[in-house]
Amino acid sequence: MLEKEGEGWGGASMRNTRQALVLLLAGGVGSRLNILVEQRAKPAVPFGGIYRIIDFSLSNVTNSRLQKVGVLTQYKPLSLMNHLGAGEAWDLTGRTRGVKILPPRTGAKDSDWYKGTADAVRRNIDFIEANPSEEVLILSGDHIYHMDFEVMLEYHRSKKADVTVSMMVVPKSQIRHYGAGIIDDKNRIIDWEEKPEKPRSNLASMGIYVFDRNYLLEALARNKDELDFGMHLLPWAIENDNVFAYPFYGYWRDVGTIQAYWQANMDILNPDSGLLPEQWGIITNVESSHRIYDWPPARYGYKAELHNSMIAAGCRIEGTVVNSILAPGVTVEKGAMVQDSILFEGCTVRKDGVVDLAIVDKYVEVSERAVVGYGDGHDVVNCASPDHLYTGITVIGKRVTIPSGITIGRNCAVHGFTTGDKFPASGLNDGETLLQDGTVK
Amino acid sequence: MLKTTTLAMILAGGRVDELDVLTYGRPKSALPFGGFGRVIDFPLSNLMNSEIEQVAILSQYHSYSLINHIGTGAAWDMLGRHRGISILPPFIGSTHKDWYRGSADAVHKNIDFVQFHDPEHILILSGDHIYHMDYDHMIRYHQERDADLTMALIHISPEEAHRFGVATISDEDGARGGRVLEYWEKPESSQAEWASLTVFCFKPQVLYQMLQFNQGQRSFEFGRDIIPYMMRAGYKIYGYKFCGYWGYTRTVNEYWQSNMDLLGEKPLIDIENWGFRTNLDHRDIRDFQPTIVGDYGTVTNSLIYNGCRIEGTVRNSVLFPGVEIGRNTLVEDSVLFFNNVVGHNCTLTKVVADVNTYYGDHVQIGAGGKSSGVTVIGWNNDVPDQTTIGHGATIWPELNDACWKKKVKAGEVLR
Repeated sequence: MLEKEGEGWGGASMRNTRQALVLLLAGGVGSRLNILVEQRAKPAVPFGGIYRIIDFSLSNVTNSRLQKVGVLTQYKPLSLMNHLGAGEAWDLTGRTRGVKILPPRTGAKDSDWYKGTADAVRRNIDFIEANPSEEVLILSGDHIYHMDFEVMLEYHRSKKADVTVSMMVVPKSQIRHYGAGIIDDKNRIIDWEEKPEKPRSNLASMGIYVFDRNYLLEALARNKDELDFGMHLLPWAIENDNVFAYPFYGYWRDVGTIQAYWQANMDILNPDSGLLPEQWGIITNVESSHRIYDWPPARYGYKAELHNSMIAAGCRIEGTVVNSILAPGVTVEKGAMVQDSILFEGCTVRKDGVVDLAIVDKYVEVSERAVVGYGDGHDVVNCASPDHLYTGITVIGKRVTIPSGITIGRNCAVHGFTTGDKFPASGLNDGETLLQDGTVK
Repeated sequence: MLKTTTLAMILAGGRVDELDVLTYGRPKSALPFGGFGRVIDFPLSNLMNSEIEQVAILSQYHSYSLINHIGTGAAWDMLGRHRGISILPPFIGSTHKDWYRGSADAVHKNIDFVQFHDPEHILILSGDHIYHMDYDHMIRYHQERDADLTMALIHISPEEAHRFGVATISDEDGARGGRVLEYWEKPESSQAEWASLTVFCFKPQVLYQMLQFNQGQRSFEFGRDIIPYMMRAGYKIYGYKFCGYWGYTRTVNEYWQSNMDLLGEKPLIDIENWGFRTNLDHRDIRDFQPTIVGDYGTVTNSLIYNGCRIEGTVRNSVLFPGVEIGRNTLVEDSVLFFNNVVGHNCTLTKVVADVNTYYGDHVQIGAGGKSSGVTVIGWNNDVPDQTTIGHGATIWPELNDACWKKKVKAGEVLR
């Protein structure tokens, strides 16, 4: 039912020198990612070994030849700002190019935190005014996808739309997580449902909007109580003005839950999934960890065994790695086993240690014979966060030391910086959470 | 005011014929090494770690790959108001119009550059050696002894003496070094047990005088001309004893062996702990995703950087970014540079392969037992299906399809 190709938005040959201004919304807490967002914003969560989630949106911007980006931050922005640097990695430095961090600012009133997506953009109207453009492209910093925005902008122009919303077909059972659009035969959106329980459409908004700049400024000025694009601003625009759906058919994932995040990482190991970061030209900032020396090539020992895994530079593999993603500097010692897991930078799995179905944050040490992800209790949901950890995945926070011989069950969480002496001798049972002070929930 | 205390000059000009097709389009110092870097990264990383921040590179043979590799110098933190790397190619001046006629001539031609920096010490290094050294220790020794020249020396067996500049030294400073008593450049036979590493620290005024004097001679080399003259003239020359690993890469076999020294349980080249840096912008290696080892992949005792895809078996090998190994293919005892793509059912044994070569299916290369020679594949080739290449063979770069044959014999040169 989506019109596949319309007049006048042929693609690369139609490139226009007009430059849209990009606003990248990177402020979300992303709390469903649980302890992975204890110390960082969701867009800064590592992904696919060497990337961070925001690299996908930013690289799409660079590869679409857009040159001016404002990144709206709010929640724990330090690691994100560090990662963005001056933008050189994405070729966003130069006389006409730039990436600007836009943190919340105290206005006339105190306590002016961003109250929603539209509110965040409204607070940065001065940035939009200072960078005149025909269109403003609004992106979310927390999706994994590959898209040429220039094609979408051409489409927007050819439709003479006020707003264009990028949309894709998802299973009806999933639509309740998204904004859903109902379109006519010209792809014009005629009705909108935000996170509907009983959907009338299978077209989900990807949180990517092209606004005609003047239209955006007027819409934001109209009603200051409209805080969110999906909840307030879009429904109003659909009712009164020209809002079009831009059909998207490629790989796109919202990695906002532990399960979705894990699955999208695993998709890298399966080329048929369509997730191909290197081919897509996804760029990351390898300097952001401020290492003085480079990670050398990964070293594979005499007893290394690997199956279907992604191994970054700086790893040392002496044991067994199956269906896993290893970030730079991960060590897997002899007799150790890593399976169906994602290990962030600098983790160590000591001799005869096991990591099974887990996401392990940076610089965690799994001591000898310790087991992360033990037993068959995949159905025992996490007591503290039943909505986050319920598919069997165990999550270990940054710089945790798991003492030797300790066993951690399924759907467990260990908060960051928990030292070895805080672990109960009996380990953690399925569904338990260990806090930094040693409290088990 | 911040001032340069030590200026380092890296001699990176030469092409060495024994390295053959690997230096077809690049100087030896730009030869890939260690799975992601280049040979010159060793002296550059040593300089960075020794906090020497003004560096000049003297280069005249196919400099582009080197210029590209050095970039702004930021990779080694040598970009700033008082930090920098300059590449100094030969040039035509009012008084000279030659290429660099030798290492000493290269430095002499750039004496303006050296004097502009007005350093306290001038460090002269070779860009072709693989080693880890804190130059600061040697410079301190040089200062303490108030030497005119201090050279780093390594212990060798007398049979090897004919390949090096060799010296005998007094034992006045024991393990640190001593005064150089005698010096020979590549003697036919000698009992001298200390060989020069081509790491020299000069007192600037002495160097200026020596270079000036040398211009009236017929040969312009530090080892062959300058040092013997200084010995005869009674200058104060000290030897600084270096006892770490020193990788010499003059021949294909030595180059291959140096790569193998990266491997094993306790590698001689400890690249993880040497503080090694390269320029990740060169060939965009920063943009490669991590390596994927597939369901049928096996990797043992090997170094593999990002950007590879392994579906076959890799043993005792070093793989650079962009290498792909197909199913049922075995690669062992080999070094594959950037973007070698190997098909299915192939065997590559003891191969050094330059960049950008495609291998069809059922290709057999090498395999002639333990003592067999290294097979070298030049860059940008397309090896047809079913080709067999014997051990010790050399394949020239960029062969066109008509040059290829089903069987290349052991030791044969295909060009």
